[in-house]
Amino acid sequence: MTALSEPAARAVPATGAVGRSIPRPDAEAKVRGAAVYTVDLAEAGMLHAAVLRAELSAARITRLDTSAAAGLPGVHAVVTGADAPALSGMLVVKDQTVFAIDTVRYAGEPIAAVAAETPEQAAAALAAIELELEPLDPVVDLDAAVAPDARLIHPGWADYAAPVDGFRSGNIAWDARLEKGTDEEWSAAFAAAHRVVSDEFRVPRQHQTPLEPHACVARYTTGRYTVHTSTQFPHSVRSRTAELLGIRPSAVRVLVPTVGGGFGGKLDAMLEPMACLLARRSGRPVRLVNSRAEELATAGPRENAVLRLRTAVDAEGRILAQEADVLTDNGANSSGETVICAGLPALALGSTYRIPLARYRTRVVYTNTAPTAAFRGVGGPYVVFAQESHLDHVARALGVDRRELRLRNVLRPGEAMVNGQALDDPILIEALESVERRAPWDRERPATPGKLRGKAVVPLTWLTNPGPGEASVSLSDDGTVLVTTAATEIGTGAIQTGVRQIVAERLGVHVDDVLVSTPDTDAAGFDNGAQGSRTTYGAGNAAGEAAGELREQILRTAADMLEAAETDLEIAGDVVQVAGSPGASVTLAAVSAAAMWSSGPLSATGRFVAQPPEFDAGCVIGGLFSTINATSSHAHAAEVEVDPDTGEVTVLTYVVAQDVGRAINPAMIVGQVNGAVAQGVGYALYEDLRIGPDGRVLDRNLETYRIPTALDVPPIDLEILENPLPTGPYGAKGVAEPPIVPVAAVLACAVSDAIGVTVTDLPLSPFAVLAALRANRR
Amino acid sequence: MNYRLTVNGRAAEVDVPGGTPLSDVLRDHLHLRGTKVSCGTGRCGSCTVRLGDRAVASCLLPVALAEAEPVTTVEGLSAPDGPLHPVQEAMVSCHGVQCGACTPGMVMTLSTFLDTTADPDAGQVREALTGNLCRCTGYHTIVDAALTAAAATRTPREDRP
Repeated sequence: MTALSEPAARAVPATGAVGRSIPRPDAEAKVRGAAVYTVDLAEAGMLHAAVLRAELSAARITRLDTSAAAGLPGVHAVVTGADAPALSGMLVVKDQTVFAIDTVRYAGEPIAAVAAETPEQAAAALAAIELELEPLDPVVDLDAAVAPDARLIHPGWADYAAPVDGFRSGNIAWDARLEKGTDEEWSAAFAAAHRVVSDEFRVPRQHQTPLEPHACVARYTTGRYTVHTSTQFPHSVRSRTAELLGIRPSAVRVLVPTVGGGFGGKLDAMLEPMACLLARRSGRPVRLVNSRAEELATAGPRENAVLRLRTAVDAEGRILAQEADVLTDNGANSSGETVICAGLPALALGSTYRIPLARYRTRVVYTNTAPTAAFRGVGGPYVVFAQESHLDHVARALGVDRRELRLRNVLRPGEAMVNGQALDDPILIEALESVERRAPWDRERPATPGKLRGKAVVPLTWLTNPGPGEASVSLSDDGTVLVTTAATEIGTGAIQTGVRQIVAERLGVHVDDVLVSTPDTDAAGFDNGAQGSRTTYGAGNAAGEAAGELREQILRTAADMLEAAETDLEIAGDVVQVAGSPGASVTLAAVSAAAMWSSGPLSATGRFVAQPPEFDAGCVIGGLFSTINATSSHAHAAEVEVDPDTGEVTVLTYVVAQDVGRAINPAMIVGQVNGAVAQGVGYALYEDLRIGPDGRVLDRNLETYRIPTALDVPPIDLEILENPLPTGPYGAKGVAEPPIVPVAAVLACAVSDAIGVTVTDLPLSPFAVLAALRANRR
Repeated sequence: MNYRLTVNGRAAEVDVPGGTPLSDVLRDHLHLRGTKVSCGTGRCGSCTVRLGDRAVASCLLPVALAEAEPVTTVEGLSAPDGPLHPVQEAMVSCHGVQCGACTPGMVMTLSTFLDTTADPDAGQVREALTGNLCRCTGYHTIVDAALTAAAATRTPREDRP
């Protein structure tokens, strides 16, 4: 492990492109307002669509008549559930239809959609649809939903297709367990424990809030749909749209213009199936864009959850055994990633600390609320918030220093995490030392008069999505290089800088001479999408492999031209030259031309999928993934002040140590850490997508759903740690997700330290802080 | 109703209801789609344009109230094939851009702000940015860009290193 400022041991020697903070090449179009996003697209003859959404969260549809709406001026198509009966779901349980059919399961669920010449005509058509609903009692609370007498949200749940069975029933969409240790060991640990500490934590929904909402433009021609859409994962939109329409995936072509943010919220099909149905019915291109109110009320946010932890510890605070009962809210169907992530809480609880014995259970629960989905770090932020707040409670109960308690429990090299998986070269201690150097734990700084001061430090192991992807690289006639991939630039720079730098490095060409196609599922094969910090790692590996093969082709061709041995040749910028003899060279453009009529055009395809690590398969029951891939080590530390009169929390210092494997572009890493910490600050202090007792989302605009502003984000002191991963491109690991995961934990622990009581609910709004202070005084 | 506007130095005439938001006129009638509409309620600042010497949320401004003064959008801040405005240049070089959906609004707010505050400190820049939301960057690099642009503007172009 080395800090970036020091000479680093490189996994693969780099010569030029890798490790440089090049500015992103798409920035100029964005600052000029010239970048074209999906919301900016217009096609000749394009119609405007609008969606009739349920006002109630639970109801039977007793009447739906669209005939008057269909006859209104300018209206070209009206579609309902009768037009799309197929069931689908995000990878696991197939429990979702495009439109509500007979039953409404959440407020905001689509009932019908219209396409008209103008947005005003579309709105008029919605108003003319005759809909009658017979209300049902909404099931909203998680504990109430799993009670034996709860009304079933999907009475036909047993008939839904799922990849394996035995892990769901009634309102429990998925039930995943991780159990380590025998019953005898478990009883003995609790009998021997110096102390057993229990806590219950509650976290709200957090909305991704990309500034570009979900948007698409769909066309239908002779049996195929062409969809331009704002997505992180074009192949997911392709397959899910096809499944929802009951057609084969190759009948859907997905193209992705510039994407105005995703953060996990744009991994799934959402508006595309409705736009496709309307395009087919009308014979015209159809545009459908979410309003901000629709976005907040229906585009799946990070799930709310209840976490109950019970831990047996010895007198020094070493964890002997830990129990967790986690309820996460699936919402009304499994259209998001919440079910596929059911196994994650157990892995997040047991990947940073030594957990000798575990009984972890996570139930993903149906409620009459909008479906939930992935948000950067998926379950990590709330699981780590609960675990860290709980460990601080343990430390306070035992009178053990909170940092020391972590040092006693944190995983060291050679140790396995709770599932028996060996970590990839953990440097958790080094990460803790890095933040210690910059924010010494024993440094006592007086609080501002009248304020309460607190601090916290949190270590973290996090993952990189292992998913598959392919990329092609070809040499163009002018000597530039074109990368063709469905991997998608969503703003992180992973494609615009990361993949381009990896390809340039592998070939030896200038970064400026590497172009990347825009995603088109008709042109590029599968890529697992911009999720789980995987683009630089997964797409970078695939494109890097392709570039390596293209390099061999280029050298073979140039060797004939120069009458030299391939092994004596190198690519240097826009030429191939004999190493040490720059006079003997040919341009890449000439190589391209020479190859054209001899070997044929030069191109290669690379592919990547991470191989699953070994683990103790006996401990995981019903987990849909059982291990975590390409792990990295982190530590965050913060100091806060709390105003006891107003409950306001101010973050004074924020210090991060992040293991990136290898920094392909340090400036982009800084950007990811800054942005992720800001979103974490929002989750910790402000963001609360409130659900009313009737199941409706209360926050439908950015006035009441408050994301951080420029005044809310603390200075961030980051040290990038390079601990190369042998299977990452030039050693790189995932970067974008980890820095959001511990933020709520470290801020909550610091606030708890300041006010002297464990905080159990997020966000730490002034009201919540004042309530905790009052409870403590009593 | 017909409304006569001056947008980016060009005269434009549109026939729309007077309450039509200026942002809709710019995007849908004048094809200036650099101006983004992200919330439609004046909170996010993506739609910020300059009206006279003020930065305004064009999603809240009825077109009928936009006739008296010239409108400048992000497309008018620098010529399409010309050099970037110092704020645009600094947003690129300071890595102030990620997804870019907030960027046109940020650029318009900052360029207007720097016209009246030539030598701001970081706190003043943050105050000026409270009406512009960014979900990607955490704002720090945007603040850096503003300070960099301010310094560059104080230094004539030919004297810059």
